[in-house]
Amino acid sequence: MSLSPEARAERRSARFIALWTGFVVLAIYTPILCGFVASVNKGRYFRFPLAKTSMEWWQKTFDSIEIGMLVRTSLAMAGLVTVIAVVIAFFGALAYARYDWKGRRLYQKLVLLPIFFPQPVLGLALLLWFNALGMQMSWQTAVFAHLVWIVPVVTLVMAIQMYSFDAALEEAAFDLGASRLQVLREVTLPILWPGIWSGALFAFLLSWGNFPLSLYTTGPDTSVPEWLYAKMVAGYTPMVPALGSMATIAAAAVLLGMGLLARALRKRPAQ
Amino acid sequence: MNMQTKPVTDPSAAATRASILTLTNLVKTFGTYMAVDGIDLAVADGEFLTIVGPSGCGKTTLLRMLAGLELPTSGEIALRGQVINDLPPNRRPTCLVFQSLALFPHRSVGENIAFPMKMKGIAPEKRRARVEELMALMRLPAHYVDRNVMRCSGGERQRVALARAFAYDPEILFFDEPLSALDYKLRKELEKELKDIHKETGKTFIYITHSLEEAMVMSDRIAVMRSGRMLQVGTPEEIYTRPQSRFVAEFMGEVNVFPVRRAGDGMFDGTRIPGRFQVAGDPAAEGFIIVRPEAMRLVAPGETVENRIEARLYNSYSLGSRMQFRLNVGEDHLIVEQLRAGGPMPDLDREVSIGWDSRDAIFVEA
Amino acid sequence: MNEIVASPTIAQARAAGPRFGERMLSAGARCAIPVYVLLALGFLAPLFAVVAYSFATPRGFDVFRTFTLENYRQILDPANTVWMSFAWSLGLALLTVAILTLVAYPIAYGLARLFGRSAGLVSVLFVFPLFVSENIRLYGWVLFFIKGGVLDGTLKAMGLPGAPEFLFTPAATLFGMVYVYLPFMLFPMVLGLSMVPRDLIDAARDMGAGRLQIWHEVELPLAMPGILIGMLLTFVLAVGAVAESKVLGGQSVIVITQDIEIAFTYAQNWPFGSALAVILTLIVGVLTVLGIGRLDLDRILGRRS
Repeated sequence: MSLSPEARAERRSARFIALWTGFVVLAIYTPILCGFVASVNKGRYFRFPLAKTSMEWWQKTFDSIEIGMLVRTSLAMAGLVTVIAVVIAFFGALAYARYDWKGRRLYQKLVLLPIFFPQPVLGLALLLWFNALGMQMSWQTAVFAHLVWIVPVVTLVMAIQMYSFDAALEEAAFDLGASRLQVLREVTLPILWPGIWSGALFAFLLSWGNFPLSLYTTGPDTSVPEWLYAKMVAGYTPMVPALGSMATIAAAAVLLGMGLLARALRKRPAQ
Repeated sequence: MNMQTKPVTDPSAAATRASILTLTNLVKTFGTYMAVDGIDLAVADGEFLTIVGPSGCGKTTLLRMLAGLELPTSGEIALRGQVINDLPPNRRPTCLVFQSLALFPHRSVGENIAFPMKMKGIAPEKRRARVEELMALMRLPAHYVDRNVMRCSGGERQRVALARAFAYDPEILFFDEPLSALDYKLRKELEKELKDIHKETGKTFIYITHSLEEAMVMSDRIAVMRSGRMLQVGTPEEIYTRPQSRFVAEFMGEVNVFPVRRAGDGMFDGTRIPGRFQVAGDPAAEGFIIVRPEAMRLVAPGETVENRIEARLYNSYSLGSRMQFRLNVGEDHLIVEQLRAGGPMPDLDREVSIGWDSRDAIFVEA
Repeated sequence: MNEIVASPTIAQARAAGPRFGERMLSAGARCAIPVYVLLALGFLAPLFAVVAYSFATPRGFDVFRTFTLENYRQILDPANTVWMSFAWSLGLALLTVAILTLVAYPIAYGLARLFGRSAGLVSVLFVFPLFVSENIRLYGWVLFFIKGGVLDGTLKAMGLPGAPEFLFTPAATLFGMVYVYLPFMLFPMVLGLSMVPRDLIDAARDMGAGRLQIWHEVELPLAMPGILIGMLLTFVLAVGAVAESKVLGGQSVIVITQDIEIAFTYAQNWPFGSALAVILTLIVGVLTVLGIGRLDLDRILGRRS
């Protein structure tokens, strides 16, 4: 079977695109792998190829009380951000994609503004603002800072799914005798769960990995990315790549776990 | 579509039965847009009423007001004499079958049907029994109970939606073109099925569609709507044989319409199509003559007919048992349909004569 | 069944408040309130505070009590080299956008058209790095490029002379920006390309258009909104980027956000830092408003109606 020159060119470009995508994916994960390699180095100073490998820095990181506190701070922030962001963004997404109302077009654009804004500058601006209000910085103020950026992102994530929600379903339930609360419980929420879950996932992971907003707004508290940065700039120890790798693996585990859970729920019969 | 399709239930019966739903000068505006523009209508208990009109005529808005999903701007909706304008849909004894059907995708067939009973707090065993009953009535196989609705075919979903509506035990069922997404054959089948279910249950059905053909098959009465107003309400027979306006006549399907003016001798002169025509009855001085394609025929040169037009045969189309001809007269054209009678086919692009009897024509005022 | 329409029930229903259809009208606006409150307190107010500070006496903290243009005058002072930082930031951001457009387009095309069922997995691979703090990822590149690092060590092990000096140069900063902002270019592009109906491309081909013509006449114009959002987002974020120049660039160039940061931290000159931030915000804000002002977000994000 001979192909036309046209079809051959198409096949060539498809192959190029696949190769290029593979190469870029590889590049994206190269530094993450490098961090992993550095974390299993036995010595204090990194040289490649490694002379000896050991998990001792992982063990030290794991046992460190200081790092335990960092992780607790980061988890508390991410947890609180997730809960608040999901609630605000759920209604935000309803206003974005579900209801037709007078100010919707403008609202849709205003929501984007914090996303289209450099985070370090936003962090500094919040620092200034908290200061002007006479507030003490702590991880709670950082939670608020995270929300300013994460709520719009989660709103978009949820809105994309809400666009495909058929408004007639709610009306039908209402018409069939359901009260407003029953409509929400029996129809709206069950159908929108996937979007809410992915929104929660985004909120948690984006907060967990955020550095520029935390840097200026945590005050004396320190999150994992902040600590890593401080040690990178001054006082490298292999605990830096070790903790970095742990944070990455934790994020991957959360993502994977949620993905598998979602798949299991989807496969379940309608009963 | 022809005259014989429609088994009319005695129209006078519908009129004398108590009316279940009465609309008085019902109006709905969206901003400055007048969606429903003053509708008066009385719906008899147990009748199958179809509201027909082109898209954008306001029929869906009207139906949504009746179901309680839209609040009237002014006017009254009365159910057995009680004004129900403000009554929310979950408290109205009415149920709407949506165009999209609005089946809950996360629920099984059984759960969908049981939904309204669950909302009413009916015990699970009772619900189950009623679901079985309804599925049997809708000719759904019993083992579909646990099937995901999204895995049902178009026709099956239709039946599930209908069963769910009946599970609410409404006095009136509304239908918002639920058959429009189905293919032709299935639609024809379900139209008849719906009429059978109407007969079985004796409930009042109010159905909207843009297809008059659909309305003809099922309805006891048809209401034709245009630009938010009711143009004509009557039995299918009346609508078909005595349209009161050019719009209704044209909405019925392909018809020949041409403007005429009364001449001194009581005859009518065509103002676009040359000729002198007779009109039955005592019509106004100016208007349109409407002749259905099947009421017109090709006539032999010597034959005498009451009305006659000379035209050029442009093309012919086969409609199965009948033939349709398109004839050009100046810049206008006419459609003639006749049975495939054997006989020689007329040649195309020849001058021919067409004619009709005055009693087969309809006259409407301009 | 009929008790539903008995008048007492109707009265109750009326007393129960507004109805479904009626509530729908304002439901959207009510749902938007929490978001609006958050944006007002967490975005608008801080920006306002920055503007207010930028008019305060240099090195002072007496905001709202003094008004001076001294901070802006300082920026314009030819003796001050802060304009260099602006130039670097703008230049690097432009280059980042240009490079990322080329890097991301084939991938976006693949995700929108070619990868089919595996597109979801590939997307996750590109999203995941967003959940890892950028300084961890940038530091991984340091480990890769540094003398005795992964690249250098590998090359030497192969008997080659080792890696060239790349770390702590402006090029490394640029590399870091391209790396960090790839997803922000990629996903808007995918949205844009997904808006091009396949039928149109088949129709264009059927009418005799070549591959280049199809791309130029059909695909590119229709995908443009998404591509432009990607470029705008990348540019805006890159102009304000700072981690890349600090971690990978080794401060070989000072970007504008770093100047702002220095003013806020070491120099303790908040009013001056605020004035710089106001100028940066103006650049970003004007571009953003122009860029997203005319967008039809319903269409891009996939509303069916």
